[in-house]
Amino acid sequence: MATVTIKHITKAFGDNVVLKEFNETFQEGEFITLLGPSGCGKTTMLRIIAGFEKPTTGELYIDDQLVSGGKTFIPPEKRSIGMVFQSYAVWPHMNVFDNVAYPLTIKKVNKAEIKKNVERVLEIVHLSQYAQRFPNQLSGGQQQRVALARALVAAPKLLLLDEPLSNLDAKLRESMRFEIKEIQRQLGITVVYVTHDQTEAMAMSDRIFLINRGVVQQSGTPQEIYNSPANQFVADFLGKVDFFKGEAKDGRIVFPGMDHQSIPYDGPRTGKVEVAVRPENIYFTENGVLSGVLEAQYYLGDVDDCRVRVGDTLVRVIANGYEFKNLKEGQKVSLGVRDIMVFEDDGLLEQMLKIQT
Amino acid sequence: MKNAVAMQDKIQMRDRTPIITKVILTCVFALGLAIIAMGYAGMQEYSASGFSSESGYGAVYVLSGEVADAWSKKLEPQLAALAADERTALDEAVSHLLLSAWESQKKGASADVDAALEGAQGPARSELEYKLLYATYLVNGPKVSTANKKAIAAIPAQRATAFRQALLAGIIDDGAAVPEEAAKAVGDLTGEERQAMLMQVYFVSNDASNSRATDQVNTLKKGVRDKAVQLHAFRMIAKGEVSWIWQLVVSNSRTAILVGIIIALDALLLALLMMGDKTWIVDFKWIIILLIVDFLLLFQLMPLIYMVIKAFFPDSEFSLETFKRLYTYSLNLDALKNTLIAACATMVLGTLLAFPLAWLVGRTNLYGKKFFRALFVLTYMVPPYVGAMAWLRLLNPNVGTINQWMRVLFHLSDAPGPLNVYSLPGMIWVLTSFYYPYAFITISRAMEKMDPSLEEASRISGGTPLKTLFTVTLPMMMPSLISGALLVFVSAASCYGIPSIIGSPGRVHTVTTRIVEYVALGQQGLNDATGMAVFLMAMAVIILFVSDVVLAKRQYITVSGKSVRPAIVDLRRWRIPLTVLVSLFAVVVILIPFATIFSTSFKIDVGKSMFQTDNFTLSNWKTVFGRVETMNSLKNSLLFAAVTATVGIVIACVMSYLLQRTRVRGRKIPDFLITLGSGTPSVVIALGLIMTMKGNFGINIYNTAYIMIIAYMIKYLMMGMRTVVSAMSQIHVSLEECSQISGASWMRTMFKITGPLIFPSIAAGWFLIFIPSFYELSMTTLLYSSTTKTIGFQLYEYWTFTSQPMSCAMAFGILLIVVLLNFVLNRLTKGEFSI
Repeated sequence: MATVTIKHITKAFGDNVVLKEFNETFQEGEFITLLGPSGCGKTTMLRIIAGFEKPTTGELYIDDQLVSGGKTFIPPEKRSIGMVFQSYAVWPHMNVFDNVAYPLTIKKVNKAEIKKNVERVLEIVHLSQYAQRFPNQLSGGQQQRVALARALVAAPKLLLLDEPLSNLDAKLRESMRFEIKEIQRQLGITVVYVTHDQTEAMAMSDRIFLINRGVVQQSGTPQEIYNSPANQFVADFLGKVDFFKGEAKDGRIVFPGMDHQSIPYDGPRTGKVEVAVRPENIYFTENGVLSGVLEAQYYLGDVDDCRVRVGDTLVRVIANGYEFKNLKEGQKVSLGVRDIMVFEDDGLLEQMLKIQT
Repeated sequence: MKNAVAMQDKIQMRDRTPIITKVILTCVFALGLAIIAMGYAGMQEYSASGFSSESGYGAVYVLSGEVADAWSKKLEPQLAALAADERTALDEAVSHLLLSAWESQKKGASADVDAALEGAQGPARSELEYKLLYATYLVNGPKVSTANKKAIAAIPAQRATAFRQALLAGIIDDGAAVPEEAAKAVGDLTGEERQAMLMQVYFVSNDASNSRATDQVNTLKKGVRDKAVQLHAFRMIAKGEVSWIWQLVVSNSRTAILVGIIIALDALLLALLMMGDKTWIVDFKWIIILLIVDFLLLFQLMPLIYMVIKAFFPDSEFSLETFKRLYTYSLNLDALKNTLIAACATMVLGTLLAFPLAWLVGRTNLYGKKFFRALFVLTYMVPPYVGAMAWLRLLNPNVGTINQWMRVLFHLSDAPGPLNVYSLPGMIWVLTSFYYPYAFITISRAMEKMDPSLEEASRISGGTPLKTLFTVTLPMMMPSLISGALLVFVSAASCYGIPSIIGSPGRVHTVTTRIVEYVALGQQGLNDATGMAVFLMAMAVIILFVSDVVLAKRQYITVSGKSVRPAIVDLRRWRIPLTVLVSLFAVVVILIPFATIFSTSFKIDVGKSMFQTDNFTLSNWKTVFGRVETMNSLKNSLLFAAVTATVGIVIACVMSYLLQRTRVRGRKIPDFLITLGSGTPSVVIALGLIMTMKGNFGINIYNTAYIMIIAYMIKYLMMGMRTVVSAMSQIHVSLEECSQISGASWMRTMFKITGPLIFPSIAAGWFLIFIPSFYELSMTTLLYSSTTKTIGFQLYEYWTFTSQPMSCAMAFGILLIVVLLNFVLNRLTKGEFSI
């Protein structure tokens, strides 16, 4: 329902630059996720959109109206945005009804209208019977839904969610994930969602913006960034991945760390490369491309997590049980590899990954 | 291995100990009851005896021992050596002397003597007569001069027997010559007087432990109310020995009852604690809790309870006489009204000032807000009487600086005024300017702790900053706001320094000044003071209950582990005007008063400017810091405060450990008592101690340094404790567990891990107890003695009786010390703490 246009936004606190050159447009009805490790600048971006922070440079438009930039600054209360905070921020001195009704009372909507709307959103978040309760009588998940109802009650064109699920337990987090997505679909509202949880991002988003150190590393649909990561950081942040240093020449990549064994490669790169492979894309097979010794295997129920020594390198293999029923530790095995991601070895990998550990 | 063995031991212990522990506890409890019973019996006997002092009555027992000793070891063998007819003659002389000695004390003495002898016959009667005479002469016999006594004592042993025989012969035969030493004592006495003197010399020559007997005799004389009591005492002395335990109990019956109550109570408390624990193993921690509880029971709760009882049972019967007398007296009624009006007005004004200041300093982009914050908090550490002195200098109707300016500025006549500090509004203003920091600190702490997203949620919902302030911030702050306001109320109502300096000259009396005045009036005054104190105490307890129990339950803002960055409101075009306004406030409330104190200390004539010719002098400073009495009181203050702070912080650390690291039942009891103590008005604490610690309950620390240190501790212990407790709550227990799992003992963990981590808070806690104890005035006024004057009291005396410029020099000295300590604290804790 609303578009958000971000033009060259940079934000610095003193000398500390937390956002560099953010430049993007969020379309109407899109579910946008800002994903990244903590401290990457994603929350700052969200707070700039909300109006709690002013960008150092650059401009922000909501529906073609300039809200931040230059001398213009529209305060949060004038932006007609809904927002859910990480700590819920449900006011403890008001009951559920009053909490949810607050945005409408500020707009001086008449009482009957308020009642109708509050009941409607409480219905949506399944809290109708709790209207008269006070927040301290509610569980974390219920408080979360009060916050969501409050953000939705004034029918905002834009909904901002700041790590709304991070304080919930795993089960609740999973169900809330789908509830939020469902509500967004029903209302067709534009959502900007901030999280550091990649599964959450994958499950909900139309588009993900993966941010690291204040810079957007890649944006795209979940499939795009999972399958075609733009760089090592993206590959590593989404899902499990292992990196191997190698050299590409003559249609093959040779790994010095694996007794110079090689795998076929028909991509464009030559010279020193970093090969990223997800452990589920390495498998046991009769006539594989790599051979090594099975060193350890850990039973995880649905899959087995194995370590295979190839030369001096330990290769992680996640295999479903069928393929290697008869394999034993210490036995020679042959590995097949699919869906490899090949990056230029610019020596920056270690530095890039450091931020995560 | 070792642990496993220890564990097994423990398990076995568990099987055995319940019964042993129960038996021991029952025994201890019974012992306590027994001591109470003995003390009670002793007290009954004592009060029946008619003595006016316990020790005097105790002396009776000591002397009876002396007399019995003298009789059996000396007199009896000597008398046995006499011939029968001599003996008979001597016996008759003794009967006669006894009768006349008693007759000189009381009419109809013969019946008394007969009663004392209880119809004894023969040798028993004779023995009693000798003893009775001995006792009578000990206390009330013919006087033998000290020189003579010495001469008699110097008689060599080989001559002593002959000497005594000659004395006895002299008693029997009026004409017989006596030895030189006796002749000197007898002088030209004749007849019965000569007989009596010789008898006394004979007794003296037999009294080996002379000096001890003299002491006891003096004590006994002090305890005697009238002659009948004295005769009763002689009779008791003559009757003979009593066991030393009974003697101890009778002469210390109140102490005995007190000790008994404490032993019994401790046993009971321990049993209750153990009942909940079910294992019945004595935990060392309980002993510590009990010791702290005992201390607080004795020095805090007992005085308070005693005071309430005294107020409602003035003559051990229920009566509201005290209150009726007090509150029909218009001066007291006015004092009551003034206190309530002043406290309410200060509360309202103080909170109205504190809330916007706290908000501006904590939540906006005001210029220099860190500086302002430090400045407002610093006022909290300034003794209120210093403020009172400053405002007195500024607003004195005749020579007050502000008044002088205003007269010039508005072309007013030279008549006094326009402002008069010696009035209720004047007092309210000074109280406000010194107690608003209490509300400021409470409110700004709550503001800083508030989750900023609660306000952001309101902004994003469409609320303007102002709307957010009133619909979200203010309601959420309400509990803290109210408890800050109540703190101001109770502090203002129980303040003594400001009303005594400003109110008294202007005849604006308050409850505290009336209490101090009443105490100065002696016994009746003390009773009346309790009536006023009970009012003050009831008010404080109610407020303590409201803010600690009622409000705490409604407290929305709780400490979270997360560091919150409060949202800063942009003041925009109001930024400069508001900064100017806050600066102006700081200048008026802080800078001008302190500058006044400073400049006054250099003046000769306080009415003129410091810069006027011939009005600048350093002599005030020289005099103040050159005098022995001021230096002594400074030493006293430093010493008392250091002792209070050191003992206090040890208790605070122990309590913090108990509260934060153990689940020991009963750990809340001392916590509650400490909170109660700090909530009790200073004057009330001091009054309670005066009434109970002067020996009437077996503890006599009146007029000593101990009573002051104890009073300071009761009042300020909580400041230190809260600091250490909150520091310890920040340290996750896993840090300690990790040390222990690494092999460190509990002690080592405390010294290597916990200690260093909370050291800044321990230092801060020490200073928080030290500083207010250092310049304390309200309690000191009631508790000081000539040797225990403190700097605060000395300053007050100088201000009232000597010279205002000199006391201003002292006040500035105190301020310097406080600021210096604050600096030390800041350095010591690497900037983490300052006051």
